Amino acid sequence: MRLVQVLLLGVGLLCGQAAAAAELPQRWVSAGGALSEWIVAFGAEDRLVAVDSTSQHPQSLRQLPVIGYQRALSAEGILALHPDILIGSEEMGPPPVLEQLRAAGVQVETLSARAELQVLEANLLRLGELLGEPQRARTLLNDYRQGLQRQAERVAAAQREQAPPRVLMLLGQGGGNLLAAGRDSLAVWLIERAGGRSGVEHRGYKAISSEAILALDPQVLIVADRALHGEAAHRALLRHNPVLAQTSAGRSGRLVSLDPTLLVGGLGPRLPEGLAELATAFYPSAHALTAEVDR
Amino acid sequence: MNPVFRPRPLLLAMGALLLLAFWLSLALGPVNLPLGDTLRAALRLLGLPLDGEGLQQAELILGQIRLPRSLLGLCVGAVLALSGVAMQGLFRNPLADPGLVGVSGGAALGAAIAIVGGSLLGGLPPAWAPYLLSLCAFGGGLAVTAVVYRFGRRDGQTQVATMLLAGVALTAMSGAGVGLFTYLADDATLRSLTFWNLGSLNGASYPRLWPLLLVALGVALWLPRRADALNALLLGESEARHLGFAVERIKLELVLCTALGVGAAVAAAGLIGFIGLVVPHLMRLLVGPDHRVLLPASLLAGASLLLLADLAARLLLAPAELPIGIVTALLGAPFFLYLLVRGRA
Repeated sequence: MRLVQVLLLGVGLLCGQAAAAAELPQRWVSAGGALSEWIVAFGAEDRLVAVDSTSQHPQSLRQLPVIGYQRALSAEGILALHPDILIGSEEMGPPPVLEQLRAAGVQVETLSARAELQVLEANLLRLGELLGEPQRARTLLNDYRQGLQRQAERVAAAQREQAPPRVLMLLGQGGGNLLAAGRDSLAVWLIERAGGRSGVEHRGYKAISSEAILALDPQVLIVADRALHGEAAHRALLRHNPVLAQTSAGRSGRLVSLDPTLLVGGLGPRLPEGLAELATAFYPSAHALTAEVDR
Repeated sequence: MNPVFRPRPLLLAMGALLLLAFWLSLALGPVNLPLGDTLRAALRLLGLPLDGEGLQQAELILGQIRLPRSLLGLCVGAVLALSGVAMQGLFRNPLADPGLVGVSGGAALGAAIAIVGGSLLGGLPPAWAPYLLSLCAFGGGLAVTAVVYRFGRRDGQTQVATMLLAGVALTAMSGAGVGLFTYLADDATLRSLTFWNLGSLNGASYPRLWPLLLVALGVALWLPRRADALNALLLGESEARHLGFAVERIKLELVLCTALGVGAAVAAAGLIGFIGLVVPHLMRLLVGPDHRVLLPASLLAGASLLLLADLAARLLLAPAELPIGIVTALLGAPFFLYLLVRGRA
């Protein structure tokens, strides 16, 4: 008798769980590069049916249909994919399109893309809820925190040996016009977390003059460009922009490449690795030291 | 220039083309609706008491997405083409386009102020932003056109040549203003601005449609009544005056119609090039320079062309979308070159 009751209870619980799983959105459209990466990190890549043009990582996402740029979404294009949910940042739009999608029964979920840990925490918990993996969200969050914590310890240790270097991050080179990352940008947030100093005064990403570059005299140059990485590309960059060769970084050859997709759409899962790479470039002599912290 | 076609058959054919383009624009899209569903949903939208079983999706897509979009495209295309005829008639120059009196440049400046200025001020309530953008674009277009018109006035007369040059100068100044705001913009607003400059019928909704529909109706009813005056202007201003037309008043009306029409079209759909230039040109080749035929023919052709261009814009890259300005320029520019080469031969 008792056994039957337990069995019935078990069956009831299973059914309940199955019902809950059925109510979770199954077909996902992501309109943000970092969000897509997190969904993949949750192990839910198979639920993504389409992504936006900034979702370039991991490589396998590039095989999905692309819904275009997050601020110029097309209602009918997205509806044609029969999604249950559209997820993106507060930049997502235009607003009438989102209205039309809601009217068609698509859940439109807006998660902030601000580069702040609290925001990331809220986003991951929400994603965990929507994916039915709340536990996984906590694990991912803890790993992330620990990664950043280890990073902060490394930088603090390295800074006891060496003063923080002056760092300049350059984006693209549209027609020889170098764009420099300035205040309030994710790029400078990264530089500072990796233990560098940015002396750029302007906000966001703006063109910078040769004289301003000379005045800043960066000790490390970061190049965030889709096409430019590797030694040969760095040499070409210095050749085309003689002023860069005149800086401390140019003279000592301290040029680092950074994947520009790290800078789009808020804090993504690859950020701790990117930080570690930058920190290694900023504090080359502290290599042994980082190994010690790792152990 | 001898007309290739007689007016009545041509107008009938253009009307049929517009009906076809409108139907295609309703029936085709990234979502594959069965033709039967589309028909039944369309009839239900017209108020016929048909059985709505299983038609929710079709009705939603047709009624809330495709119909406002098609109506918007129809109005924008018609108004741009009519304004093109008005400007080419006013300047007696087949190369004139509605942008010449500064309305496009002014609207672009207004849009830049709304997009970039809004985000610099710390962001507007998202529900307001589209309306503010439309209002600023419309206001910018009207304001710059008013200044251009004012420059053209001398001794109670409007010097068309002066006005044209003032239009060029003020368009350049607006361009500088847009450039300044481009510099001040951050990444996201910069992309919004770029997309706006390429035009799109995406996200059309009824609240955004009604103002344009009113203006388009006004322009479409008013301009054909001035067809005789436009014909007389072809002979020259003093000739038109001797024929008994109030030339100064006509000029003001033409500029006003263009400023209102293009301003409203640009406010609703962004900058869409080449329709205002190419459509009147093409129609003049087909029906000759008589404005009594040219105006309605251009209206029909402009609307059809824009609807077909929009169809390409939303189907080519589905589920993403191409800005429609790219499609119209891609179609329009080679055609324009062809006209140039042909004219020389």
